[in-house]
Amino acid sequence: MPFPLSAAASLFKPGQSGTIERFTNEGLACKLLDIGVRPGSRLRVVRKSPFGGSWYVKIDRQCLALRKKELACIMVK
Amino acid sequence: MHHGQVTATPVVGLVGNPNSGKSSLFNLLTGLRQRIGNFPGVTVEKKAGMLTLPGLPTVELVDFPGAYSCYPTSLDERLVVQELTNPAGDLFPDAIIYVADITKLDKHLLLFTQLRDLDLPMILVLNMADLMDTDGLTVDIPKLSRELGVPVLAVSSRENRGVGELKAAIADLLRAPEDFRPQHPFYEPGAGARDVLAELRRELPARNDYHALLLTHHAPWLKHIPEPLRHKVQQARVSHGFHSLRAQVEETMDRYNTFEPIVKRTVRHAGDSDSLSDRIDTVVTHPIFGPLLFFAIMLLLFQALFAWASVPMDLIELTFGTVGESIRTTLAPGWFTDLLVDGIIAGLGGVLVFVPQIAILFFFIAILEEVGYLARAVYLFDSLMQRFGLNGRSVVALISGHACAIPAVMSTRTIANWKERLLTILVTPLTSCSARIPVYVILISFAVPQVAYFNGLIGLQGLAFAGLYFLGIAGAMLSALVFKWVLKTPDRSFLMLELPAYRTPVWRNVGVTVFQKSKTFVVEAGKIILIISIILWAASTYGPAESMAAAEVQTQEQTVARQLSQEESADLLASERLEASYAGHLGKVIEPVIRPLGYDWKIGIALLTSFAAREVFVGTMATIYSVGSVDDEFRIRERLAEERNPVTGEPVYNQATAWSLLIFYVFAMMCMSTLAVTKRETNSWKWPVVQFVFMTAMAYVGAMVVYQLLS
Repeated sequence: MPFPLSAAASLFKPGQSGTIERFTNEGLACKLLDIGVRPGSRLRVVRKSPFGGSWYVKIDRQCLALRKKELACIMVK
Repeated sequence: MHHGQVTATPVVGLVGNPNSGKSSLFNLLTGLRQRIGNFPGVTVEKKAGMLTLPGLPTVELVDFPGAYSCYPTSLDERLVVQELTNPAGDLFPDAIIYVADITKLDKHLLLFTQLRDLDLPMILVLNMADLMDTDGLTVDIPKLSRELGVPVLAVSSRENRGVGELKAAIADLLRAPEDFRPQHPFYEPGAGARDVLAELRRELPARNDYHALLLTHHAPWLKHIPEPLRHKVQQARVSHGFHSLRAQVEETMDRYNTFEPIVKRTVRHAGDSDSLSDRIDTVVTHPIFGPLLFFAIMLLLFQALFAWASVPMDLIELTFGTVGESIRTTLAPGWFTDLLVDGIIAGLGGVLVFVPQIAILFFFIAILEEVGYLARAVYLFDSLMQRFGLNGRSVVALISGHACAIPAVMSTRTIANWKERLLTILVTPLTSCSARIPVYVILISFAVPQVAYFNGLIGLQGLAFAGLYFLGIAGAMLSALVFKWVLKTPDRSFLMLELPAYRTPVWRNVGVTVFQKSKTFVVEAGKIILIISIILWAASTYGPAESMAAAEVQTQEQTVARQLSQEESADLLASERLEASYAGHLGKVIEPVIRPLGYDWKIGIALLTSFAAREVFVGTMATIYSVGSVDDEFRIRERLAEERNPVTGEPVYNQATAWSLLIFYVFAMMCMSTLAVTKRETNSWKWPVVQFVFMTAMAYVGAMVVYQLLS
């Protein structure tokens, strides 16, 4: 596909990856930007936590733990 | 006063992102010459140390909490912004050492450029330089220094490399701060902020445009902005349609666009470097093995806590017992000797006996932290904790709470969400801290028969012990659940946690942590316990004159009537005197209240005094049963077993009473120091009162139910 559609990162399955396009929540975006997550970063969902709810993701070379709500505001293509 | 000349005690601030190795560098620069306190007015831990540089007055090095940017989301981060935007404040640094992780320069430079735009003289320290050799990482340091306009030094706090150069650079910086001021800003406030700045620029106590912009953003909570000005800022923000979040996003993106090319031009990575960490994480953060490993580690921790601590603990008890006895035999008998032996020395022993356990617990926690495991534990349990209204970060507090609730409550500062933090503070004291251990040990021997299965591998008493710990955790989680429903909050809650690459621990950091935490315990809790010991001694030695006289007469009559030996007579006198003392009177006053729990007035005294600190329970028992007698102070268990109810002749410490006391001690808020810390951390009297009431209610009801069922 020439123009891949973007989707919320919370819909990704472990192992899937993509490039961050934009954020859909300003408050969370501020915090994400602060810790170095920004449009253009590579995002890969590595695994889910044992009790659900939080995700182990790799963004660029950094490992992060994010909640579903936090991941849902990241649009990835 | 801060610029242009070297001040009497120049302040140098260590600033950087969390996980940049900042504290490690601080330990390396200051060693054990650190003072741990609080930043004025807030409860954020302040670590400061003295640094001597040739030809300069002694420098105060302040380790600021880790922060990601000048837009704080936690109390710790707020403090950094508070102090660095207040040039009139005592802690405003004359120079800043900005610490960045060399492998994450593309992220750690965000705060750097912000502080640089505040016109602060700075040095950029690239920490973890040891990775430059192993990871195939190369940094063009001269070029980076030129492009950023600050001196750049590669340092390895792990391998003690580059520290001499760093000290020399700090000295240069303090001698001529003007030479280190920025030539041009990294960021100019954008269109959205221009109008509001034009109106406020002259009103605000700002050094430059960016400083004014930050004050405009944060005026609602900054302490150094006076109320009328705060009001004016609010009005200007509204009238010019200044949107704080939008302006922040715009600024952050702009900054990344500025410094990212610089990083690209100067830093080269040799590919995906953290593959070992990734492999470890497939096991450690595995949905099934992860939690199993966590519980295995906890089990090991508690095994070590008991196995390793018992020898030094026995040694401390023996030493204080021997010293007490030898003082009693050397000095003339009298109130001073009694005060010294039963009050001061017994009290000191009661404090120091916990040091081995606290030291071992912090040894383990420091290692887990250093290695990078604690962040994984937070990740594993965040969603579970969320269901109880807590945060993944609460796990750290709940684990530390098993050593001592005081540092545990203090560790909640990293939780950004107020409600989650408050809940963690409220329920953490329910986890069984080390002060409960001696109480448990003595009482379990009465509550549970000494039976073992599987060739002594699993003992019934050990199971009961584990059960009490579990009960504490269950109590904590369930009360958190109740508070979750009762309290409401509009705050946002974050996880967004960095999982740092695994590293071997730096033993210096582990050592410093163990030393500092043990010292804090001895000094903070020790003061209170010592004072209580002395008060207790006085209360149980003195009483209303007529009661005390009556006790003497009573004893003499009994001695004659029952033809008691000299020793029996002395014991009788001791217990009669105790009953007649102030402590005895007080115990009798509360006896009706604690009767349904199965306690007599002697246990009542112990409950009252152990409100100061639980460990005082055992000390009180020792005092109650040995004051005035030459009993061996550490034979308390045998002494309790001999104790009979004067009416029925039944042992006082039967199974029902022992279990009732155990349940009481699991839940009761018997620690003044923790209440004091809760007051400080929540900044109100409301929450310590709530905490005391709900825990005492749980303890009372629980103990009553157990006693009534068993008796």
